[in-house]
Amino acid sequence: MSHDESTDGESSIRTQPRNSVFRTEDQTPYVESTIIMTTVRVVAPFILTLGLFVMFHGADSAGGGFQGGTIAGTVVLLLAFAFGIEPVRDWLNADRLLGLVAVGLLTFLGIGFGAMLFGGAFLQYNAYPYSHASKYGIELVELGIGATVAGIITGLFFLLAAGFETDEPMEDEQ
Amino acid sequence: MTLLEATVLVFVIGCALATAVFRDILSVIVASAAYSLGIATLWVLLQAPDVALTEAAVGAGIMTLLFLLTVAKTVNPTTDRFFERIRPRTFVVLVCFLGVLLMTVPALPAIGDAGSPVVGGEVTNYYLDNAYEQTEVENVVTAVLAAYRGFDTLGEAAVVFTAGVAVLLVLRREAFV
Repeated sequence: MSHDESTDGESSIRTQPRNSVFRTEDQTPYVESTIIMTTVRVVAPFILTLGLFVMFHGADSAGGGFQGGTIAGTVVLLLAFAFGIEPVRDWLNADRLLGLVAVGLLTFLGIGFGAMLFGGAFLQYNAYPYSHASKYGIELVELGIGATVAGIITGLFFLLAAGFETDEPMEDEQ
Repeated sequence: MTLLEATVLVFVIGCALATAVFRDILSVIVASAAYSLGIATLWVLLQAPDVALTEAAVGAGIMTLLFLLTVAKTVNPTTDRFFERIRPRTFVVLVCFLGVLLMTVPALPAIGDAGSPVVGGEVTNYYLDNAYEQTEVENVVTAVLAAYRGFDTLGEAAVVFTAGVAVLLVLRREAFV
């Protein structure tokens, strides 16, 4: 996280170096730590697997798209905390992330309208002429929700991390 | 109420109070995360694992991270006080509100009461009897969410989608990263 030029001067008086989480002029929140990087490297695949498990297995046990998507999205956040937000931002593909969000919602809508093509009502899973259509339909819907949620959470994280640029200084910075 | 439930309940109330009265924002965020974790434990004890999972993942996990990130973008005003100053007016209003809420508690059925409308209700029994045959999923919560109330869930997914798009629009960006 790069430090912001527009707050030079004033904010250095008001910031407290006591909490390293808060931004100071000569210090960024990111600390390169071998322990954190190694831990994240080991743990990340398991968390992603857990997220997918919660998404897929939500039909038969506790869980579902919203929970699983959140857990899966956390993996990217963990990577950003361990390896720095900027490198992870460069590594991610912006179009694919937006695509993930859109495809998730479109999957849900597609399954809903697809049932109408086969003569059923909107979201009537058993209108599809497959065996266990309800089960697979629900699984796909959960996956779609998961994709949307994971994408939005990752996106919000990077948007917050980037902040926003204004030409004029903020009012409370005088 | 078992000892474990009572302990978690006291912990949750303590965390909620700490969230309200702490002056330092970082402490507030940590207290709020602890509150969410306590509530998630409470949901597990009340046998609502789906809700517990959501609370743990979203409340204790993601929200804490997003709050921390937001706070890292701001400056921390210097303060000597540890607690927020509570105005008497606010306190009176809060106590009244709490009183009103507590008055509804005796009207609630006991936990696990077989005669409560939730357990014995027609709708509940319909779901429990027919969910597996009609939707082929074993988790009735998922059956209700994705099949019986699928349209509502589509709305929820659309809300999540809209929230992301709205933030992009407000920040005048074209991509998340």
